Amino acid sequence: MNRYLLAAGAFLVLGTNAAFAHITLETQEAAVGSTYKAVLRVPHGCDGKATTAVRVQIPEGVIAVKPMPKPGWTLQTKKGKYEKSYQLYGQAVADGVKEIDWSGGNLPDEFYDEFVFRATLTADLPAGRKLYFPVVQECGDAAARWIEVPAAGQDEDALENPAPGIKLTPKK
Amino acid sequence: MVIAFIVMASTSQALAHAALIKTDPADGAVLAQAPARFSLTFSEPVSPLVLTLVRPDGTPVALTSFRLSEQTVEIDNPRALKSGTHVLSWRVISADGHPVGGSLLFSIGAPSEPPDVSEAIDWPLRSAIWIGKVLLYAGLFFGIGGAFALAWLAGDGRAGQRFVAGAILCGLVAAPLSLGLQGLDALGAPLSHLAQPVVWRTGLGTSFGWTVLIALIALGLGLVSLAAPRAAARPLALAGLAGVGAALAASGHASAAEPQWLTRPLVFVHGAGIAFWAGALVPLGLALKRQAAGAVEFLRRFSWAILPVVALLAAAGIVLAVIQVRTPSALVDTAYGRLLLVKLALLVFLFTLAAVNRWKLTASAEAGATEVQRRLTRSVGVEVLIVLAIFGVAAGWRFTPPPRALAIAAAQPVSVHIHALQAMADLSITPGHAGPVSVSMIIMTGDFGPLDAKEVTLVLSKRDSGIEPLKRAATKPGDGSWRVGNLVIPVPGRWTVRIDILVSDFDVVKIEAPIDIRP
Repeated sequence: MNRYLLAAGAFLVLGTNAAFAHITLETQEAAVGSTYKAVLRVPHGCDGKATTAVRVQIPEGVIAVKPMPKPGWTLQTKKGKYEKSYQLYGQAVADGVKEIDWSGGNLPDEFYDEFVFRATLTADLPAGRKLYFPVVQECGDAAARWIEVPAAGQDEDALENPAPGIKLTPKK
Repeated sequence: MVIAFIVMASTSQALAHAALIKTDPADGAVLAQAPARFSLTFSEPVSPLVLTLVRPDGTPVALTSFRLSEQTVEIDNPRALKSGTHVLSWRVISADGHPVGGSLLFSIGAPSEPPDVSEAIDWPLRSAIWIGKVLLYAGLFFGIGGAFALAWLAGDGRAGQRFVAGAILCGLVAAPLSLGLQGLDALGAPLSHLAQPVVWRTGLGTSFGWTVLIALIALGLGLVSLAAPRAAARPLALAGLAGVGAALAASGHASAAEPQWLTRPLVFVHGAGIAFWAGALVPLGLALKRQAAGAVEFLRRFSWAILPVVALLAAAGIVLAVIQVRTPSALVDTAYGRLLLVKLALLVFLFTLAAVNRWKLTASAEAGATEVQRRLTRSVGVEVLIVLAIFGVAAGWRFTPPPRALAIAAAQPVSVHIHALQAMADLSITPGHAGPVSVSMIIMTGDFGPLDAKEVTLVLSKRDSGIEPLKRAATKPGDGSWRVGNLVIPVPGRWTVRIDILVSDFDVVKIEAPIDIRP
């Protein structure tokens, strides 16, 4: 039994190792109806080129988004209407940030950096499923698009450019 | 001549062997249920001759209800199909008058052992077609050419008239017979079906029908010229000779080649030239043998005229050969090229004999040296035999597609239609064989609407080959398509083509399908 667990553990470690090359979120799990601090980890540029912009698309059901400014980067957000209105501290919220854009920076390929935002995961989100935050990483005129979301039944590891995602857990 | 030009004009659309470009269902497809219809799309307009559906148990069903729309043949599926692998066998006629055939496999439910539909070569029919062709050539060249020689060159001598009449009669029998045999070949029917009217209608409907009609008229003119008084015989024989050229220009590989404005007149000149030369041989040989009055005059006229005629004949032949064979390696690599080599070898022999006759023997024979005249007669006899052998080789071309047509077929693109919920694409790879290719894609939404993609990336992979996927960004030339040029597909076989369509900044749609790359 122990050996089995060990093997499974090794498999998990090895399995997630592959994801280190991608842009990922530091905290891989969060409960619906909670506040989530998203830390986007950018491990490298696009095919050796320095990263100059990071853009994140906010999925439906994620509201009250507040990105953290970064020295040397211009921070902008795109706002828009949500598909429906959500309750936040007893108030209806129908629009907000849909996209965050850190640009004008320079993160060489050999360096690592993190991009942070805070958001509320509404209670309407389906617990037990994964929630994806598609990211476009720009490197001058090149770009790496971490925007692939697995189709139903598709293995996430089979994707070339998976979008970073978190597992939604039930409301506490 | 008038007939010749009508034929040239009316069939100027003709290209080459038609090649199958696309089928629905695709070859090898596994379908959930039987399709309501099948469709076959060719590289040029065709007309179907035989369409057969072979069921999993091997029983054939004739498919008779079909419609033609441009290059596509739409065939109704007459009945419900049981599950298992079916074969749709097709045989169509293309513009050069030669039938082409093939089959595609598809399965309902799940694949089963495919029924056996191997297309065996019908040797008795092939032999009959070949003999018919040789006899037709004999009628056209020895018969009509002989009538021309008698009318224009022989003066008052009538030596060889009976041979010429015999050759024409032989052609008169062979021409319609060849038509029936062509019909049998077109339908893929055995010799025993020769009496069926549909066979003859089919034969007449191919471009070879024109060859036979014109040949019959020309043979008739030749025969009448034999009996007519000199003044009438000459124009009749001349028209017959022109008919020989026109008959040959009306069908066949060489006439179907591009550019038509060049190949058809060349075939005409080549055919008329052969008739002039070959036709004169027997009457001349017999006249010399019998030491008939006027034989020397005949020889003088012939040897005066033959140089420019052979020059034209050879020039036309060389240009046609170059158009057909294209590359020197095809001379050895293809059956067509090998037949050409045999013909060239025979021609070298023939030209050597003819040159010896022309420059060594003719002068003394004209001066009346009897011994030399006898040698000349023997030599002419050998020439006739070589000419017959050349007819035999030329008739063999009936069964070998020229390298030109093979190259056209190889250059045809392969296409695939990929349909998914979010997007679909029409993709074609040109040429559809391994090597340097260019790829063109039309991207649409899943419901045929326009899709203005931000980026399109093509990924070609072949998992069983150990080759890493080939990934290329497509460019937009501005005509609504996406293109990838300078791509080399290293090996033939079944590849998976995937198109990554960036619909918006954060949305990518990936669609994929298998595609077969020819060797």
